[in-house]
Amino acid sequence: MAQTSTLSNPLITQADVSFAEAMVNVKGLVKRYGRFVAVNDVSLSIRRGEIFGVLGPNGAGKTTTLEIIEGIRKADAGEVIVDGLDVRTHRRAIQQRIGVQLQATTLFPDLTACETINLFGALYPHATNTAELLAEVGLTEKASARPQDLSGGQRQRLALALALVNNPTLVFLDEPTSGLDPQSRRMLWDTVLRLRERGKTVVLTTHFMDEAQTLCDRIAIMDHGMIIAQDTPAGLIATLGASAAITCEFTENGAPSHAITATELRALPGVTDARDGLEHKVIYTAHVEQTLVALLQYAAARSVTMNHLQVNAPTLEDVFLKLTGRGLRD
Amino acid sequence: MKAFFAMLWASVVMLSRNRVLLITSLGLAVVSILIFGWLFGSNGASTLSLGVVDQDHSAISQQIVANLKHNKSLVVHEGSTDAETQALRNGQRGAVIVMPAGFGAAFMQGDAAMQVYYDQSSPVEQAIAQAAVQSIIASLNQQSSAHTAHVTLHEQAVNTHNLRQVDWLTPGMLGMLLMWANLPVGVTLVSWRKEGIMKRLAATPLRPSALIGSQILARLLLSLGQGVILLAVAIFVFKVQIIGSWMALLATTTLGALAMLAIGFVIGSFARTAEVADAISMLISFPMMFLGGSYFPTSSAPAFLAPLINVLPLSYLNDALRQIINNGASLASVQTDLLVLAGWLVAALLLSVRAFRWA
Ligand SMILES: Nc1ncnc2c1ncn2[C@@H]1O[C@H](COP(=O)(O)OP(=O)(O)OP(=O)(O)O)[C@@H](O)[C@H]1O
Ligand SMILES: [Mg+2]
Repeated sequence: MAQTSTLSNPLITQADVSFAEAMVNVKGLVKRYGRFVAVNDVSLSIRRGEIFGVLGPNGAGKTTTLEIIEGIRKADAGEVIVDGLDVRTHRRAIQQRIGVQLQATTLFPDLTACETINLFGALYPHATNTAELLAEVGLTEKASARPQDLSGGQRQRLALALALVNNPTLVFLDEPTSGLDPQSRRMLWDTVLRLRERGKTVVLTTHFMDEAQTLCDRIAIMDHGMIIAQDTPAGLIATLGASAAITCEFTENGAPSHAITATELRALPGVTDARDGLEHKVIYTAHVEQTLVALLQYAAARSVTMNHLQVNAPTLEDVFLKLTGRGLRD
Repeated sequence: MKAFFAMLWASVVMLSRNRVLLITSLGLAVVSILIFGWLFGSNGASTLSLGVVDQDHSAISQQIVANLKHNKSLVVHEGSTDAETQALRNGQRGAVIVMPAGFGAAFMQGDAAMQVYYDQSSPVEQAIAQAAVQSIIASLNQQSSAHTAHVTLHEQAVNTHNLRQVDWLTPGMLGMLLMWANLPVGVTLVSWRKEGIMKRLAATPLRPSALIGSQILARLLLSLGQGVILLAVAIFVFKVQIIGSWMALLATTTLGALAMLAIGFVIGSFARTAEVADAISMLISFPMMFLGGSYFPTSSAPAFLAPLINVLPLSYLNDALRQIINNGASLASVQTDLLVLAGWLVAALLLSVRAFRWA
């Protein structure tokens, strides 16, 4: 609609096109709690039809950012445009077309799953079919159960159903898979992928790197209220400049060796970076064979043994560690 | 509108599934009525205290008095009009009959009239008195059939303090029910806020006014439903009479429920947790239930309590309900009570609007 007309306008520059394509545009967002700055000058651009992940440790400001975009919290500074509408002036119009799953699952006590979905559906001009929705989240048998009789994961799936009740074009899922069993997690992934197939935009936060990597088209990494990286998973991993991550433990006479330091390992050929794990070392390399040979020689020369040697492709976890200096759930 | 009615329906469903609420409001009131009604309610209704005023002193009038004294279900007291009607007002007589001077002579003419005063607040005694007096008149009319004698009854109901316990208790229980059913609205709001339900609703296009409005209407409907059940028990089990108009009763009930709701909103605006809101509600409700005159009159309360009793909204609600149910008062004659309740409603609303928080 508006999108195609702007695209066909030759006067619009490349930058403008990306702005028009964006489902969500956030500029210079700031949120303070007293003197504490929870969100510090965040800018984001979420494209139509993509699955956008926000990654970050506890307290990074993910939930706060999402809730400002959803119109639940008010920003102290900055601009939020959702589907071309300013959230400060068109809150209700935006809320009619977005679906929200909050981080903490909250449901009315004493209402059954079916009644809850019906109620939320009635809050919007158009609602999707309740039975279909229950089937989508696998709660058909629990249609007449009240929240107190549902398990934590089932409550969370019901909250997901509520996020989809108005057939939204933009869906926010705040840690949708935390507390879910592996099967339910898979189910949620399928649901999210189906949403994208139907042309919807999904914004989700997660602490699971594998989830972000397999599910998300693009990812923003947040820490201390700031976005420290924003790219596709592959693009983020490419910033490491490494084709593999070598993990191993060095032991001397059966005990962990402290003689070998990350600094020394960084000097080996092909190595782009190295760091200390709990008991092990992680070595990133651009040339696996070259580094492995050098590593074996190095260990032999120092008469230390190498145990539990693993060679993996680098992951988002590695990117995260490099950017923040700590693990996601440390 | 669709959203409003959906919220309303959901709230009514939730409230009606809330056992604690139903037990403290309707349950407490009905159980109280049953207990007090059965313990004390039907006392004194089997024999009738009848005051007889004989201003005629003719043979006929004396014969009537003698006949009345033979009736086993009557305890006859003779005295002056003033003394006997006063006794009626104090609840010591169920009815008073007055035979005016010249009654005997008029009776011989076939056209006599006697005046009967009933205790209107005591329907059982009223019925017995009416039956007793009418049977005597009927037998007199029969005896004098030769003269085609005729005795007319001029009946007059009198307001008395001779209420049965259950009659007096019924309006008090209705007032108490309205308090218990509506004051906890603050607890609901705080727990919704605390548990993030408010936040989840804030992410939908639901208007705050629709949310609050649906809460008010849901509680109001529930109160009215519970009130109907309570009155049905009082009427059908204990023959309690609603003497005033149902419209006046409905209006007063609605105003009372709204005033209690507004106070509940104030609690909900200030309390930080549901537990605190619950404790505050209890702390207000319990003393008010006793000091507000639901279970016993507060007229004999010690003087230092009077200022407190005189500000409690339940005192005024109970008074208005009693005037309407027991004495048939109109809205105009309980306007002071209604004004005080309206004052509470407005003040509490202003306060809660000022202090209201969504999250
Ligand atoms: N209402 C509030 N009052 C004060 N501080 C707050 C409030 N809400 C959030 N914060 C603070 O803001 C920071 C960001 O919180 P936020 O919930 O956005 O983090 P998050 O990235 O979602 O974390 P998590 O992964 O644990 O969900 C935290 O340090 C938190 O303590
Ligand atoms: Mg969060």
